[in-house]
Amino acid sequence: MPKTSKRIYLDYAATTPVDSRVIKVMLSYFSERFGNTMSLHSFGQEAKQALEESREVVGSLIKTKPTEIIFTGSGTESNNLALKGIAFANRKNGRHIIISQIEHPSVLEAAKWLESQGFKITKLPVDRHGLINLNNLKKAIKKDTILVSIIHANNEIGTIQRISEIGKICKGKGVYFHTDATQSFGKVPIDVNKMNIDLLTANSHKMYGPKGAACLFVREGTKIEPLLHGGGHEAGLRSSTVNVAAIAGFAEAARICKREMKKEVKRLIKLRDKLIKGVLEKIEESHLNGHPKKRLPNNTNFWFSFVEGESLVIQLDLLGISASTGSACSSAKLEPSHVLLAIGSKPHQAHGSLRLTLGRWTKEKDIDYVLKVLPGIIGRLRKISPFKKR
Amino acid sequence: MRKLRSKKVVAAMPPYKSLQDYTGQAGGSAKKKVIVAMSGGIDSSVAAALLKRASFDVIGIFMKFWSEPSKDGLQGAWNRCCSPEAERRARKVAKILKIPFYIFNFEKEFKKRIVDYFLKEHKAGLTPNPCIVCNKEIKFGLLLEKALALDADFVATGHYALIKKRKDGIHLLRGKDKNKDQSYFLWQLNQKQLKQILFPIGEYTKDEVRKLAKNFKLPLSNIPESMEICFIRTTVNDFLKTHLKGRPGPIAEPRTEASFIRGRQVHYGVKKIVGQHQGLWFYTIGQRKGIELPCGPYYVLDKNLKKNLLIVTKNQKDLYKKKLLAKDVNWISGKEPKLPLKIRAKIRYRHQPASAIITKNLEPKTYTLKFNKSQRAITPGQSVVFLKGQEVLGGGIII
Repeated sequence: MPKTSKRIYLDYAATTPVDSRVIKVMLSYFSERFGNTMSLHSFGQEAKQALEESREVVGSLIKTKPTEIIFTGSGTESNNLALKGIAFANRKNGRHIIISQIEHPSVLEAAKWLESQGFKITKLPVDRHGLINLNNLKKAIKKDTILVSIIHANNEIGTIQRISEIGKICKGKGVYFHTDATQSFGKVPIDVNKMNIDLLTANSHKMYGPKGAACLFVREGTKIEPLLHGGGHEAGLRSSTVNVAAIAGFAEAARICKREMKKEVKRLIKLRDKLIKGVLEKIEESHLNGHPKKRLPNNTNFWFSFVEGESLVIQLDLLGISASTGSACSSAKLEPSHVLLAIGSKPHQAHGSLRLTLGRWTKEKDIDYVLKVLPGIIGRLRKISPFKKR
Repeated sequence: MRKLRSKKVVAAMPPYKSLQDYTGQAGGSAKKKVIVAMSGGIDSSVAAALLKRASFDVIGIFMKFWSEPSKDGLQGAWNRCCSPEAERRARKVAKILKIPFYIFNFEKEFKKRIVDYFLKEHKAGLTPNPCIVCNKEIKFGLLLEKALALDADFVATGHYALIKKRKDGIHLLRGKDKNKDQSYFLWQLNQKQLKQILFPIGEYTKDEVRKLAKNFKLPLSNIPESMEICFIRTTVNDFLKTHLKGRPGPIAEPRTEASFIRGRQVHYGVKKIVGQHQGLWFYTIGQRKGIELPCGPYYVLDKNLKKNLLIVTKNQKDLYKKKLLAKDVNWISGKEPKLPLKIRAKIRYRHQPASAIITKNLEPKTYTLKFNKSQRAITPGQSVVFLKGQEVLGGGIII
């Protein structure tokens, strides 16, 4: 971890530290190459040059044309642009949108709002591992369906959907297919052409880039409306003065991920599996949430019977381990996670869940430390648990 | 980071050491861990600072309660004592004190156990004390449970009250500052809870607490005191109007005096109907304002829920009673003292304790308090607290 302290950060799915190589690239865009990409002069040209290079680098990670990358300010914005942009541009062709039950709130809530605007939303259920049923999807697509939006890798349980099959089905039925790849972009290989993806959300701060930069891949020829109107930046889809420093950082982060992906994935899977095996072996009545195989290389998510997740996370924090009960977004709410409920967990199981997500600076000794202290904490929590076995 | 410098105050104040008794430092054992409920207000902030100074291992907790959703979809609906602003202040204090700080969200439980209870009681024509239930169920219920889950030894709050350990058990006493004393709201606590509670500011006056805040360099000037019910934005009646439907009925003047028969109050008979009310829950015993009758002033004397009747009087003297009945009585020691007993009783928060004799009735199981002097507006639903000297012996709910 870039110089912080002795704390062990195991919440990389919430956000990641910025790689020092990324910061180095970004620095020159604050007071030297600070220009507005729309300006004609040399400052503007420098900025525009950096923006277009970034587009190429980010796009190359998922095999898009550079012009198909629309930079935005956050993953939430990209998801909103995808759903609302497609919905409003295509409402003459139909008002039906399909999502899954385990989408990120930025998709769920955007869909809910669209529902209030007269669109119909179908939420596909998932199995106990978090996978949607492909036959269900086929059946759900109707004449007036305009968009299918299915999260690529779930942010809580790490399950990776069969995205190629979903893409194929959507292509066959002639509906747009969007996937929220916030968690998977840069971590697993994606090819938008082979996978028949029309729109894809990616985010910088989950892959060692800065916050405030994200993108939406929009396939050429897609009918979509912008959320923000103005100076016509980003092919008219996202008017706003371009945040060049953050986007250059995003691109550098993408470059590093692309270069190091193969090795890093191998390393993470080894650590992840050690953690999973260790926890399941050392702690009685512990269970793994999500798919045993089809899961992100850096994701683990457990539930422990008779343990309350919030207390567990605070106990770990007081010992210097940063973890999470579900997603960072729901941590403050204490509602049982909609993802865990969707895979069939009972509310008390969902409350007793712990997500540990690994990353670039996770070392084997960190995993060893977790495995050393976790069983004791669980044991003590169970002793005083209100859900205790009687 | 600023250091805690408070020696000056300490020198100027009596050398209280009760906190040190708890820390476990003297015996050389490990530091005691305490969860302090921080509201961002001056009292709980100073409580946290005092604990930190007394070498406790302090963890700050900010509790989120229920807040009424705003009408008209406007921005900014929140609970008075756990608003984003309060949270921001609490977080700032935690940072200055260098203590870990977490948020506990008790919204659902608070709604169920406090707000719904509050509405239910009002609907039944009673005037409840939600803060008393919150202390029992949330602060020294749920929060205490959570504290144990974090291996804490104590929960601390910024209440003005005192806890004294003696050989015969743990005693709850009124706070040093008699004007701020909040022991009234704590009568439902039991020995098990008290064993795990600290009230660090109970031995200070509000003025001293303000001075301490200044000396601890806590940025807490100009914060409004939390006095009203936290989840009510404007007035109780506004709140009730939103959540309970109106149920108009007659307002009447009484014919005879109400009397007690075998531990039950018998309502007044009606002399004449003088007007219309909008729902009994909008009125509380002794109330003068808002009755809106000509030829007043009138005072609310009683409510007859069965007949949906509001009894009013022009004669304030009618409001004075010598006797009350209490149910759900709790004795803090866990044991009922020998009865009858001479005590002083407080029938509402801002009530000057009055001498009374308490006796027990067997059927139904209630207690009768006979006051030396008549008391104004004894109100069903409110708590009556039994005092002996400075000690809170217990309390009950007035019926």
